[in-house]
Amino acid sequence: MRRAVFAVFVVLAGPVWALGQPNDDRVTRVEQWLKAVMRHEPGTTDDAAQRVASWSASDIRRLWIDANAIAQLMRDPRRSGFQVKAERQPATQTVRYSTLQLMRMKALACAASGNLSSPACVEIRAASSLDPDLVRLSALAAASRLGGDDNFVLRRGALLHADVAMLMPGRIEPMTGGALDGPRQVRIHTSDGMPLDLGEVAPHWEVARMLLDFVRPAGAANPAPGLDDMVRLWYRSTAAWMQAREQHDTDHLDRARAIFPNDADILFLSACQHEVYAGAPVQSALRAMPVPTGMRSEVVPARAELQQAETLFRRALAANPAMGEARLRYGRVLLLLDRPADAANDLRKALEMVTEDELRYYGELFLGGAETARRNFEAAREAYGRAVRLYSEAQSPRIALSELARRLGDRGGAWREMQPIFERPAIDAEPDEPWWRYFVVQARNADALLEALRRPFRNEP
Amino acid sequence: MNVIAPRGCCGLGGALVVWCSAALAGQAQPPTFSAKVEAVRVDALVTDRGQPVLGLKPSDFEVFDNGVPQQVDLVSYEQVPLNVVLALDMSGSVAGDRLDHLRAAGGTLLSALKKDDQAALVTFSHVVTLAARLTTDVATVRDALGRAVGVGSTALADGAYAGLIVGESDVGRALLIVFSDGLDTVSWLSPEIVIETAKRSDVVVYGVAVGGGKPEFLRELASLTGGRLFEVDRTANLSAIFLEVLQEFRQRYLLSYTPRGVARDGWHRLEVKVRRRATVKARPGYLAGF
Repeated sequence: MRRAVFAVFVVLAGPVWALGQPNDDRVTRVEQWLKAVMRHEPGTTDDAAQRVASWSASDIRRLWIDANAIAQLMRDPRRSGFQVKAERQPATQTVRYSTLQLMRMKALACAASGNLSSPACVEIRAASSLDPDLVRLSALAAASRLGGDDNFVLRRGALLHADVAMLMPGRIEPMTGGALDGPRQVRIHTSDGMPLDLGEVAPHWEVARMLLDFVRPAGAANPAPGLDDMVRLWYRSTAAWMQAREQHDTDHLDRARAIFPNDADILFLSACQHEVYAGAPVQSALRAMPVPTGMRSEVVPARAELQQAETLFRRALAANPAMGEARLRYGRVLLLLDRPADAANDLRKALEMVTEDELRYYGELFLGGAETARRNFEAAREAYGRAVRLYSEAQSPRIALSELARRLGDRGGAWREMQPIFERPAIDAEPDEPWWRYFVVQARNADALLEALRRPFRNEP
Repeated sequence: MNVIAPRGCCGLGGALVVWCSAALAGQAQPPTFSAKVEAVRVDALVTDRGQPVLGLKPSDFEVFDNGVPQQVDLVSYEQVPLNVVLALDMSGSVAGDRLDHLRAAGGTLLSALKKDDQAALVTFSHVVTLAARLTTDVATVRDALGRAVGVGSTALADGAYAGLIVGESDVGRALLIVFSDGLDTVSWLSPEIVIETAKRSDVVVYGVAVGGGKPEFLRELASLTGGRLFEVDRTANLSAIFLEVLQEFRQRYLLSYTPRGVARDGWHRLEVKVRRRATVKARPGYLAGF
């Protein structure tokens, strides 16, 4: 059964956060978090990941605030006031720690940045307040900085939270009312186009994205994640993972495009996401589930989603005109937008560019649809026929050929074209039909991308 | 619109009847299709205060094709065997009690068929399967129903299309019952295209939709073919619904006329009236040409 998860994003009028005074437990949690970041082996569900996964959604929301403050302190250890602004929040909020809490936060930031010998850290005697684990963290961060990368905790923190989100998804918690500390992530779980439940999940992805916003590439004076290859790969790989698992999150790719506005791969995945949103499983589920008061879904009606997909595919193709798969999907979107002549043109170009059988199959199938819409029935029949030759078991081109015959008044032909489907024994193994995986196939390289992302971070001391 | 050739062996004779031998012999012979004489068949339910009106003759009916009165050639009532096609959603959400209820309902309907009636079973999840071809041997269909399992996504439009094609593959009056408890998530065909196919067909579609969704596709499909949509919250009463569908379909008249004074292609708006106080339910039109 097709299962999908996609986020519903909250937009509330007026101030959303009523930041409570941080308590000592929150500072203690930051300390635990830093140790987990240091210990986590990327791509695993080790003890460190399990510990972070055990924290509740509200714990992670508050961690987002406090980790944000730590990241600000890492870049400016003399800072005492903290402005935080989550994605989609209309205004910044100020976080205020007590004097003692601030001292502790500064000491933790000194460890996280590997800067215990800096004047600001010496001034507060940070080194003497740290336990051996935090001293080790400081040493690792310092070694990384000396090696040219001053982002040890930021990168590893992002990897940790991504792993928790991907490998250890927590349960959906009931929605809580009232003002909240930190960003909220609300999700709808769907199955076969029907909503199953709606609730809140821990905002691990938000924490990871926030940390990467502070990444300062070698040689840069200020955070500049858009110049960093690891951040680019993190967004590419995690966005691909989300699409491969049908766990859609609009904010993720919105943020990726804000950082990498001309990255063809990110534009491609963004366009695919809107194409998926325009599809029946997502549209059906959202129609069937009313979104609670005070919230709105990021998914808009199918035609508007297709228009967004069209724009993004065009941008992807402008960034990389050789991207045949983007042109193929662009052609399908044009067809769905009632522009069959343009669709046929782009699909033919795409078919000259793609070599994988599966992509060629989609191209022929969509070309058949475009030519049918143009009433070029012979061209349509030929395209569907080529699709059949690529995947002889596939159901869709057979049905399309049957419908084409029926449309032309050939009832016998309509019947005959269905025979390969009708003659298949009911208990046979499922036929190989690429159409059924069209909405995830764009992310077929997700696992390889994730492996490339994690590899440099493994087996470090 | 049916394009049919005369063989004259199943009660209606003349232009209407083709493939009689195949119909009577079950699935022994492949269907044949020809296009020599054009006639239009319309299934019509005539009721008065909810009760079927019986004994009507051709002269009792008035049929208007795009507003042009037509000569009704034939009227049949309970004379032509039925071809009942069950197109049943076997996606994952049907597993469990729903599947048991569905099997029971299918079995009840099959038991109510007459000797010359035929039945077929199309199942669909994301995979469309003709689990049993049109046959008078209802045990075959019953066995196929017993073997069906609920798994996968829902290709409702593809499944309904397959049901239409099976329904019009044989002479006789075709009743297509489409059952689904979900929304289409994976069909290749769009609902609009299946609706277009239904407009070209004289298969009458009854839809049974379970669950809280909005079954607009099934509603339109049923409406355009002169059928009816049943929306239910639970499947416990499914057998009664299937029987009601069959009973209602049996009470329908089958009219036939050869269109005169109207253009061949395009949408033909149909109006069926009787020359007495009664309510007539029939398909609102048909599509000819492409």
